[in-house]
Amino acid sequence: MAQAKKKAAAKKPAAKKTAAKKAAPKKSAAKKPAAKKVAAKTRKAPRTVAKKGASNQGPSNKTLKEMHLKMLRIRRFEERSGKLMEDGKVPGALHLYVGQEAVASGVMQHLTSEDWITSTHRGHGHLLAKGGEFKPMFAELFGRSTGYCKGKGGSMHISNMDLGMLGANGIVGGGPPIAMGAAFSNQFQGNKNVSVAFFGDGASNEGSVHEAANMAALYKLPCIFVCENNGYGEYTRQSKHQAIVDVADRASGYGMPGVICDGMDVMSVYEAAGEAIELARSGGGPTLLECKTYRYYDHVGIRGMGLNYRTDEEVEEWKKKDAINNFEKRLIQLGVMSRKQLDALDAKICEDIEEAIQYASDSPFPTPDQLLEDVYYVKGA
Amino acid sequence: MTVQTIGIVANPASGKDVRRLVARASVFDNREKCAIIRRALSGAINAGGYKFAFLDDSHNIAGGALLELGEDCDAKRVPSLGTSSVLDTIQGAVSLKELKPIATLILGGDGTSRAFVKGWRDSVLLPLSTGTNNVFPRMSEATVAGAALGVLAVGGVTLDEVAVPVKIIDVEIEGESPDLALIDAVVTRDRFIGSRALLDGDMINRILLTRAEPTAVGMTAVGGLIRPTPEDEDAGLHLTLGRTGKHQVHAPIAPGLYETLRVKKVEVTPFNKVIEFKGPCVLAFDGEREREIQPGQTVRMRVSRTGPSVLDIDKTMHLAATRKVFN
Amino acid sequence: MSEAKKPEPRVLPYVLAINEGIRTVLSEQDDAFLAGEDVAEAGSVYGYCGGLLDQFGPRRVIDTPISEKGIMGLGVGASATGCRPIIDLMFMDFIGECMDEVANQMAKMRYMFGGKATLPVTVLTMGGAGGSMAAQHSQSLEAWLAHLPGMKVVMPSDAYDAKGMIISACRDDNPVFVVLNKSSLAMSMEVPEESYEVPLGEAIVRKQGTDLTIVAFGRMVHEALDAAEQLKDVGLNVEVIDARSVQPFDTATVVTSIKKTHRALIVHEAVKFGGIGGEITAQIQEQAFDYLDAPVMRVAAPFSPVPFSPALESLYIPNAASIVAKVKETLEL
Repeated sequence: MAQAKKKAAAKKPAAKKTAAKKAAPKKSAAKKPAAKKVAAKTRKAPRTVAKKGASNQGPSNKTLKEMHLKMLRIRRFEERSGKLMEDGKVPGALHLYVGQEAVASGVMQHLTSEDWITSTHRGHGHLLAKGGEFKPMFAELFGRSTGYCKGKGGSMHISNMDLGMLGANGIVGGGPPIAMGAAFSNQFQGNKNVSVAFFGDGASNEGSVHEAANMAALYKLPCIFVCENNGYGEYTRQSKHQAIVDVADRASGYGMPGVICDGMDVMSVYEAAGEAIELARSGGGPTLLECKTYRYYDHVGIRGMGLNYRTDEEVEEWKKKDAINNFEKRLIQLGVMSRKQLDALDAKICEDIEEAIQYASDSPFPTPDQLLEDVYYVKGA
Repeated sequence: MTVQTIGIVANPASGKDVRRLVARASVFDNREKCAIIRRALSGAINAGGYKFAFLDDSHNIAGGALLELGEDCDAKRVPSLGTSSVLDTIQGAVSLKELKPIATLILGGDGTSRAFVKGWRDSVLLPLSTGTNNVFPRMSEATVAGAALGVLAVGGVTLDEVAVPVKIIDVEIEGESPDLALIDAVVTRDRFIGSRALLDGDMINRILLTRAEPTAVGMTAVGGLIRPTPEDEDAGLHLTLGRTGKHQVHAPIAPGLYETLRVKKVEVTPFNKVIEFKGPCVLAFDGEREREIQPGQTVRMRVSRTGPSVLDIDKTMHLAATRKVFN
Repeated sequence: MSEAKKPEPRVLPYVLAINEGIRTVLSEQDDAFLAGEDVAEAGSVYGYCGGLLDQFGPRRVIDTPISEKGIMGLGVGASATGCRPIIDLMFMDFIGECMDEVANQMAKMRYMFGGKATLPVTVLTMGGAGGSMAAQHSQSLEAWLAHLPGMKVVMPSDAYDAKGMIISACRDDNPVFVVLNKSSLAMSMEVPEESYEVPLGEAIVRKQGTDLTIVAFGRMVHEALDAAEQLKDVGLNVEVIDARSVQPFDTATVVTSIKKTHRALIVHEAVKFGGIGGEITAQIQEQAFDYLDAPVMRVAAPFSPVPFSPALESLYIPNAASIVAKVKETLEL
């Protein structure tokens, strides 16, 4: 009993620390010359996203570069992972995020490692954008003990609690109830952290998503439901799996705001997610944010099983909206980065990836004694 | 006299953008849009207008509503480009023009009407609002709006009597295709189109208005609270903003969102007076960021009364009553 | 069991012992909360959450919608992120509504994450037949849960254990299901007022004996003890073990007993086929085959949904008489 009490007590400071840390940005928001009394009165919740990031041109160059880096890291990681899978170099199945990079990157730009996210079976991008590193990620895909999950989770369960990433999830619709629970924790602990549930148009038909959304709205939890509508639930196109086109339409049924943004445009996601996250942080409750996006690759792997469910023309049409290409073009126009810098960055990322692959393949497999480790928490183990 | 065709365009994307969050507005779902069209159709049919040409959309809003009417109407479908972007409306307007509707019902926000006019400049419109932040579309019950269209279609009133051309802003962009705005053209310091909405007054450099209405929200209110400029005044209003500005105006730049803006200069701009400036900047038209302008790229804007004509519901229905169209 | 000295004798029914268990946990752990359907204002349909809302307030005693996936997800997410949730699943039968959150998320998260997630979540749920609640409100589904690596499952048979096991479960850093029994709610016994633990994973010998070992689960312990009384009349001295914990199961205590009695009978209220008794039987023959003088036998519910009619339900649920009969059969009497 004494032990349990101690544990409970030991946990508390961590929560307090979080709260203290988070209190800082609020102060700076208050400092903003909020004009007259009227303005302060009418604008109860601080709506500072557009103004965050300092410069008088919207988000700073640093922010833009960070988002670009996130997207490019995901793109190259996924391209290479897909190749490894199709060459039979990694075991199991990989669900790749290529095409959807703007969503994870734009949302995650607003989060710290103290905010929680839940991911999907297509989860590499979310972890990378949340700060995941190449080496332990590849090691996990290779099933090595140096992986984020010591080789026990693999692609579909890749996670990192220290980064606030509550796991990819092999169950469609598995994440949102957990994200709702994490948001409950934030509210319970009285901190300003949020939790984001990523899910797809396919998952939007799962009862678990419905229950999580209802409870999040009921308790006004700091939970953002980010629907990555890529037009397909596995191999079934949206028009064959739901009678609506906009998943966001369901928001009003839960009593939360519903918003649609262009999931192929990182700035669109960044701004919309920023508003939703700011609303949640300030106690305004959940939002359903639908990002219209597209999966360039198959449901599994790159070419996958070669099933006949969509046309090449459709894929090519979406690629014209490619988030990374278009963003790079604009960064060059604005003089934020030069083509040369972009190429150098790309080369560096590819180099890091090769190094990480080498690290992963040199890493040891888990030993037989690890098979039964971690099934339960064991005191003192 | 033969019964004329009524055009129908419903924008599935309206009423769902990030402004919902700031405005605390509910998402405007597409079932409701379908219901609005259905009511408008009933108004039109009961006035005797049964010929329709509708622009197909990804949500089947207009098509779905017409389907329910079955044999009561004669409906021609204009296929959508299917890009789920503004291009669908622009190209839809071009195609619809060929079917010669006497007037077109536009269900959507300011942006929807603007896109339609980009495709068909001298059209006759009846814009109906779906959202919160609209100046151009009317807040009117669809049944009555539809009835007005029906009255027009059967010749109960003539276009000369009930439709007048509105003001418009023409925008020339160096080396690129031109653009236009129906209510406002705004120059911001943003570097991206992003989520399109204009939510930060501090970013705005310049506002050019065809009308400045203190009874509306958005950019038109900024001007409207300084120097009201109604639609029937043959001039525009040009505001230059900046931190050193002497005029301070506290205006709703979006529904539910007041900001204090500092205005350096207020000019009433006569028709066709060119306002010229250079990038870098982002141009927003009718409430949405639309164009990213390069450093050094020149932009020219001017106001004139060469826009589409808008059907006056009030006038139409009063004339219909006088002429006993429904009796 | 760490009972220092006997406090003032105090008798409490099972239902209030549950209440006291939860109350103790909420008092001791600031990061614990109770969430479930009708637990706050209504005080639970069984009454065992009475007064908790008044004492701990709405922040810590939370009524939820009827949304088992959501409630169980709340338990998973909140426990993984620093809280110690007590989740109330009104009827065990409702687990079908949230089996994904239980089986795929709660039980597996720690392992899938390479040991980097800890889920100190306790689920209280009510099993058992006996009140004509029919097929969807009467089941004993502990075997479903015991089949999940990562999950702990206990079945307190009396008021003392109910309180102590709830406390132990909530202090444990693993997901624990505490399967209560709705026909036991009024059963009273002496329950200490202070906080105490009943260890998880330890069976207890309720009655010493020499002729046969009965291993009983949950409320069946009392039927087994009744049976043991009746068997005294025919000169039989059976040993009765209260399994208490289904996962982990205390095989050692059972094997030790069988080495003495050489015969075993497993009794549970769940359906016999695929029930936990089959697993126990297998473990006994794996570990104590040479000590057995008779086949290991089982008394359990027949292979049918729980019937509604009291006439059928009383036939369905194992009882002292059916246990007595099976003991005699085992001993070829």
